[in-house]
Amino acid sequence: MSVVQKNTSEASKWYLPGILVGLGITAKHLVSNLFNKKQMLTINYPEQKYEYSPRFKGNHVLTVKKDGSLRCTACMLCATNCPAECITIVASEHDDPSVEKYPIKYEIDMLRCVFCGFCEEACPVDAVRMGPEWQTPGLAGSNFHYGIDQLAYRPQLKGGMLSVLDDEERHKSGI
Amino acid sequence: MPKCTINGKEIEVKEGTTIIEAMFKNEQKIAHYCWHPGLSVAGVCRLCMVEIEGNPRLQIACNTVVTEGMKINNASDKVKDAAKWGLDFHLINHPLDCPVCDQAGECGLQDQYMEFGKYDPEMAEKKVKKHKVVDLGPTVVLDSERCILCSRCVRFTDEVSKTSELGIFNRGDRSEIGTVDGKSLDNKYSLNTVDICPVGALTSKDFRFRQRVWYLKDQETICNGCSTGCSIKTYFNREGFYRVKPAYNEQVNSYWMCDEGRDLYKFVNRENRYLKARRKTEAGWEEMIPGAGAKEASALVKGQGDSLALVLTGQYTVEEFETAVASFVQETKSKQVYHWQNHAGKENDFDGFLIRGDKNPNTAGLKKVLSKHGIATSWHEFQSAISSGKLKTVIVAGPENQMHYQEIDTLVKTLAKTKVIWMQSAKNASLEALSVGSWILPMKSYVEKDGTFINYAGLERKFKKVTTVVSEALTLAEGVQLVVGQNLMVKPETNAFIETARRQDQVMLEHRKKNEFVFKRGSL
Amino acid sequence: METKLLTEHYDKEEFRNLDGYKRHGGYEVLKKALKMQPQSIIDEVKASGLRGRGGAGFATGVKWGFLPKNNEPRYLLCNADEGEPGTYKDRLMMEKAPHQLIEGMVISGFAIGSNKGYIYIRGEYDYPIAVVEQALKEAYSAGLLGKNILGSGFDFDLDVYKGAGAYICGEETGMISSLEGLKGQPKLKPPFPAVQGYLKKPTIVNNVETLAAVVPIIKDGAAAYRKFGTEKSAGTKLFSLSGNVVKPGNYEVPLAYPLKDMIYKLGGGLKPGRKLKAVIPGGSSAPVLTAEEAEKALLDYESLAGMGSMLGSGAIIVIDDSQCMVDMLGVLTHFYNHESCGQCTPCREGTGWLNKIVHSILEGRGRLQDLDLLVKVADNMKGRTICALSDAAALPVISFVSKFRDEFEFYVREGRSKVKGTSYAEMHH
Repeated sequence: MSVVQKNTSEASKWYLPGILVGLGITAKHLVSNLFNKKQMLTINYPEQKYEYSPRFKGNHVLTVKKDGSLRCTACMLCATNCPAECITIVASEHDDPSVEKYPIKYEIDMLRCVFCGFCEEACPVDAVRMGPEWQTPGLAGSNFHYGIDQLAYRPQLKGGMLSVLDDEERHKSGI
Repeated sequence: MPKCTINGKEIEVKEGTTIIEAMFKNEQKIAHYCWHPGLSVAGVCRLCMVEIEGNPRLQIACNTVVTEGMKINNASDKVKDAAKWGLDFHLINHPLDCPVCDQAGECGLQDQYMEFGKYDPEMAEKKVKKHKVVDLGPTVVLDSERCILCSRCVRFTDEVSKTSELGIFNRGDRSEIGTVDGKSLDNKYSLNTVDICPVGALTSKDFRFRQRVWYLKDQETICNGCSTGCSIKTYFNREGFYRVKPAYNEQVNSYWMCDEGRDLYKFVNRENRYLKARRKTEAGWEEMIPGAGAKEASALVKGQGDSLALVLTGQYTVEEFETAVASFVQETKSKQVYHWQNHAGKENDFDGFLIRGDKNPNTAGLKKVLSKHGIATSWHEFQSAISSGKLKTVIVAGPENQMHYQEIDTLVKTLAKTKVIWMQSAKNASLEALSVGSWILPMKSYVEKDGTFINYAGLERKFKKVTTVVSEALTLAEGVQLVVGQNLMVKPETNAFIETARRQDQVMLEHRKKNEFVFKRGSL
Repeated sequence: METKLLTEHYDKEEFRNLDGYKRHGGYEVLKKALKMQPQSIIDEVKASGLRGRGGAGFATGVKWGFLPKNNEPRYLLCNADEGEPGTYKDRLMMEKAPHQLIEGMVISGFAIGSNKGYIYIRGEYDYPIAVVEQALKEAYSAGLLGKNILGSGFDFDLDVYKGAGAYICGEETGMISSLEGLKGQPKLKPPFPAVQGYLKKPTIVNNVETLAAVVPIIKDGAAAYRKFGTEKSAGTKLFSLSGNVVKPGNYEVPLAYPLKDMIYKLGGGLKPGRKLKAVIPGGSSAPVLTAEEAEKALLDYESLAGMGSMLGSGAIIVIDDSQCMVDMLGVLTHFYNHESCGQCTPCREGTGWLNKIVHSILEGRGRLQDLDLLVKVADNMKGRTICALSDAAALPVISFVSKFRDEFEFYVREGRSKVKGTSYAEMHH
């Protein structure tokens, strides 16, 4: 992005006209907001909340399969791709040979995360998504190490978000 | 010595060389799977096709011997097309589960597809379903779907381990690897099949799912499991060591190593190591920084004269032995240096391939150093000296690899009334029973230092430090020097005795391929 | 008319017994041969221009000449694993004239200096196995096999080995593997069997008909044999005629016999009202000929090769206009997929791929690009494997698709057969 500087006139070098113009704009919004509250841009957070676009990259969600278990196969591509190095995964052998590999630990350090969404893009099985939530207050730093419980089964997700990728269907179609 | 032309370049090869060998010797690229330099030729993957002038059909390079005046070409469109389609045939029933597959990152199929592939898959039919996660034995897991039936593992069990547990069952595209009649893949060399598997069909139970390979660095060193001293490659990152694989060494182990040697990364990792110098007091163990601990321990040594002994195991480098013995003799004027050999009487055992009964990598080196210093003591003398109460203080250079050192327990018991300065890298529960006033000094393990091992056959090989696990740990040389009261700056008068002219393989070691792995991102 | 050099007495029941065989001049040739020099027998066979009757058509005398000139033990194997779909001439020869084969083998064994032979018969041939085993017993008790045959000082032992029903064991090195007790898989060449074959010893593998043909060659001489056939394809050959003809069966004719005459004169033509659509001239692995090509074709190695097909084992499969070519190809690809030994990748995966593509066309899921893909896949299987099975699987696919493309395109577009008008499921219930 480049900044284009307009030809500055002599008048703009004076301080006061600029102040007055600015105050004028403030006053204009004050008056219009007073009489037309519906169009007011400011909202009363936290009572009121802003509706973000569905593509908003908020806190991560680990999706689940139909039976409620994690979709993640612990391939570690998200961790490899993560520029902030905030994902820690420990993989293990699953009892079910068709699942084979699954994470016993999946931890995201939310304070290190830069919410770039690379993990979501790297995921080959739609196991990690960036969700809509963005309010994550907490007191201690350790609260921000989100584990599987929080990433996949936090109460807001109401039992987990279903992955679009289904192994059974994939097997049926011969992949 | 037939002369031939490969891709326009004239070369001369030894009689009986196959085209593929000639090509690799001349650093030419050629696609291949089933061919392995350590195994017989199967000629089944049909990837190493070359065009030979005067022959209308493409020939496989692995089974065609170079003859005088042969004109070989593997850069023509015809050959490239054959390799492309060959790879596509390999892939049509290969599951594309690279993200889950442990081999991803070091997979022959991935590498060769990038190099020679068709990049335009046309397979639209269902893939053949086979067995997944088949337990072949105590060490290896098979995924039949990933298998490309190169038969390397079958040939390995037939030709190298000579145990013949594996076979290919069924026919056509239903073929699968399996074990013969209720046998399981259970031999002392079984994990080599995992190394030579070019895809992720055979995976090691030990390494399976523990790390993605791109998080690991590798570095060559020498196995300290037995007196064979196989060349190995260790794989590690900053969290520790994860696995060991054999490295090619024509004189020692060729392409192979035993399963036992593959476990020897475990005691190197931090959680199994002594991190601090420890002194036993009445109240228990008190800890100290290793260097400072060694200096304090020298109080036990000072003025002991003939009631002091040094016990060495053949698990340290020649350089360490040399410095340790030299400074011990110089400072204490005592020649009570003893060689502690485990498995007495079994040290000449040999299984006919790689595994030897002497479970120390450098017994020959230790013997050489001792004889150089004119020390000819026997273990029996040590035992009688202990039982007669002649020895008051003993410095023990304990074994790193304790897998075959059950004798530690007995030795600690016999030393119950003696003050001991025990130098040891890996933890051992028996050492808790040392007498009050004794010391345990943490040592560097074999991957943390440069040095030389001399194997059973007298082959001297230098190896380089791989990485540091416990940064404050001491080498045996440092430990003994400090303990006998020397300043670390004092170098022994003579260097280790090996003449450079004899270390041919050392030159080879330096010219070996550098680790080209570049870490772009990740935790290293 | 047939030229009955080998099959002259096949209609006589007694010909399969030793006595009956001897009454018709049997084992006279053996007596003559045992008095000859082995090398002169090989020269005679070479001069006769006899070529392997099993399929590849390699000159027999030349093959025998590849044996190393030393005293190493060597083996003579008779390939009676007649697995090529459409071929049933060896069965007839073993059933009707087992002693002819034995006589031929003893002569050949004498010529190449072998003292041990095996007849590898496919497992499904229960009756021929019984007949040959009976004949072997007779021959042994008459001193025609075993030690010091007919007082000549030549020893020759002969055994029957029963195959287990794998097509690939008809391939010479596959057969050797099977005989050694291994999985029936072809071996890498080189080394060739003549240098290192059965039990790593020099080995000659010949077809039943080839070995039997040695008898008339030694009897009347190479020149008499050369009277039949052409310069390069000498002698007579048995053809197994099958398919949509009125009189299917084995017919012995001199090589270069017109295919037209074979179908219309010997085979009695097609069923009334039917038109010739295609002919497979040399067993299922030979590329198919269209009706026009078949009219002109001569049954010898060179002219069929000139038409892009091959003589193969001499199994002529006649296809009339009531047959759906897509359906037939489905049968063939399934056969080759089932019979691929699974050793070489292009064949193991390619045969399965071809089969899946053809069957997805048959089941109505085909795409027009699949037809090109079939040819492409088959093209890339050809000549890329250890043995010729992948060629055998690929050649029919290429010829079927390119010569009857309209039928395939119709099937892909409509999801049903152009000829039969019904879909795969309806054709096969």
